[in-house]
Amino acid sequence: MVIPLVLQPIVILLIAAGLTPLISILGEKIKFEKLRDLFAILAFALALYALTLLYFKIENYGAQSFILDNYLPIKGGVEIYADFLSLFVAFIFCGLGFLVSIYSVKYMEVDTGLDRYYTLLLILVAGMIGVAFSGDFFNLYVFWEMMCIASYTLVSFRKYRWEPVEAGFKYLVMSTLGSLIALYGISLLYGLTGTVNFKMMKEALSSTTNLQIPFYIVIAAIIAGFGVTASIVPFHSWLPDAHPAAPSSISAMLSGVVIKTGVYVLARSLFTLFNPVNFNYGLTLMIFGILTITVANFMALMQKDIKRLLAYSSVVNIGYIITGIGIGSYILFEYYNSKPLAALSAAAFAITGALFHLFNHAVGKGMLFLCSGCFTHEAATRDITSLEGIGRKMAWTGGSFSIGLLTLAGVPPFSGFWSKLFIILAAFSFPENNFMNTIGIIVVLNSIFAAVYYLWLLQRIMIKTPKVKASEASLFMVGPIIVLAVICVLIGLMPSLIIVLAEKAAKAMLGGW
Amino acid sequence: MVEVWQAYMFCSFILAIIGLYTIISMRNMIRTIIGIEIITIAVNLNFLALGFRNGVVDSLAQSIVFTSIVIGAAVAAVALTLVINVYRHYGTLDLKKIRRLRW
Repeated sequence: MVIPLVLQPIVILLIAAGLTPLISILGEKIKFEKLRDLFAILAFALALYALTLLYFKIENYGAQSFILDNYLPIKGGVEIYADFLSLFVAFIFCGLGFLVSIYSVKYMEVDTGLDRYYTLLLILVAGMIGVAFSGDFFNLYVFWEMMCIASYTLVSFRKYRWEPVEAGFKYLVMSTLGSLIALYGISLLYGLTGTVNFKMMKEALSSTTNLQIPFYIVIAAIIAGFGVTASIVPFHSWLPDAHPAAPSSISAMLSGVVIKTGVYVLARSLFTLFNPVNFNYGLTLMIFGILTITVANFMALMQKDIKRLLAYSSVVNIGYIITGIGIGSYILFEYYNSKPLAALSAAAFAITGALFHLFNHAVGKGMLFLCSGCFTHEAATRDITSLEGIGRKMAWTGGSFSIGLLTLAGVPPFSGFWSKLFIILAAFSFPENNFMNTIGIIVVLNSIFAAVYYLWLLQRIMIKTPKVKASEASLFMVGPIIVLAVICVLIGLMPSLIIVLAEKAAKAMLGGW
Repeated sequence: MVEVWQAYMFCSFILAIIGLYTIISMRNMIRTIIGIEIITIAVNLNFLALGFRNGVVDSLAQSIVFTSIVIGAAVAAVALTLVINVYRHYGTLDLKKIRRLRW
């Protein structure tokens, strides 16, 4: 039986995950323990290749879907569905997974149980791609929990220390509670429509618009439930504990892509199921987004631990993405009936900005966490005061670290500037709406505020006189960092490379309506 | 007239509230996990209640519930391994005595 192209990336990663322990035993037999590392890297590379093939197929033949026909009793079937939006995020997930697995070869060398580490890393990425490719809630929930369980275990991977275990337990309780709240909402939605397939639910929901209150309960459950993993502010408190506690490679995965999966599911399920023209969830998303940015900015300012500061800055950037998506749906709700064309283009602009920022933050923050991993690997501390000036001893890592900070601060030649500009311009696209203007102004003020502590960190790490002895990390650790830094600069100089893809993804997100 | 599925749905809501109360108020880590399990059961029951059609439960609801039970067991297993490790580090399961854990 030929495996359809949409299933291939997931199948490759899952088979590789199953084989990793065996390969590891083989590696020990032939005295070449790095065999499992190479195997994992190869699996990620193959999955990336399959995704590239899938991109060309979608480019030529439109969105791909695969339904398990044999399983007839399920109405709507278990569907794997891929369009440009899912492919856009899947590329980010798999690409960062690839770079992190290269980084782990050297970084995780001191740890034991690496066969489990690579198995879990492969399962994590397979789960995330599965979430991105799901066409129904059944599938989505299974892949979602697969991803969540893998990330709980990876956070508490160094179980001989107290911090990872404790943070892992906190993460597990909050995240499981969130998934269960979301599943409760899904069960209500199932009761209202009689199916869990996205397309069939959409048809059933578009015919019943008069009965709105149950749908708002479902929307609230979805935002609260998936918002825990996306770390929207009232539900963010697991993140600043879990990110510093995890190994730095896993922090990069968590911050770069796992929390993005929450945002993706939030956006995908809301936009697919509930027409933004009829349901006003954009307002909720915007208010949550603004709250997230503001609160996390103040919290970030108080941190002394470098990884904790970066973790809070992840919460800030999730706020930007949520605000961008909220602006898009709010514009559609307010203006689609009076001026449809202007509203559609403005909403597409806002969502393009949000997806572009998703990409930039995944690259930038992934790189920053990998850099902080290099620093802590050399200096054995996470305290910013003791790390002062270390960037001057480690030229490549330090230089990339500065590029990452400047990107996230939104300094013009780097990529983060463009995506923030998109979101801010989208907020001002209807000047007569004072509420949206206020949101735009708050976003601008917060970006300036955030730039202050990024530059402060830059000054501490790069300019002060060095306190600790350190030398440049090995090539396996510096290589992925340099690749990410080059992407930051390249996208900053030629933003159209990604904007084209983000625009296609935004159209796929809005396309149904 | 209250129908059977409505009664089940009401029960499931009550169970969810009990589970949330357990998680929020109990200080013991094992009881937190029991709270999570109670909410899992509440969600499963809600699926079954809403899948109730003409005296039988829809096969889609059944398959979701079976999958959800398996996932719930996996989460509980991971949670219990973490509890064992926490106990090794602190010698206690009391959430208030564990150093940094703030809910």
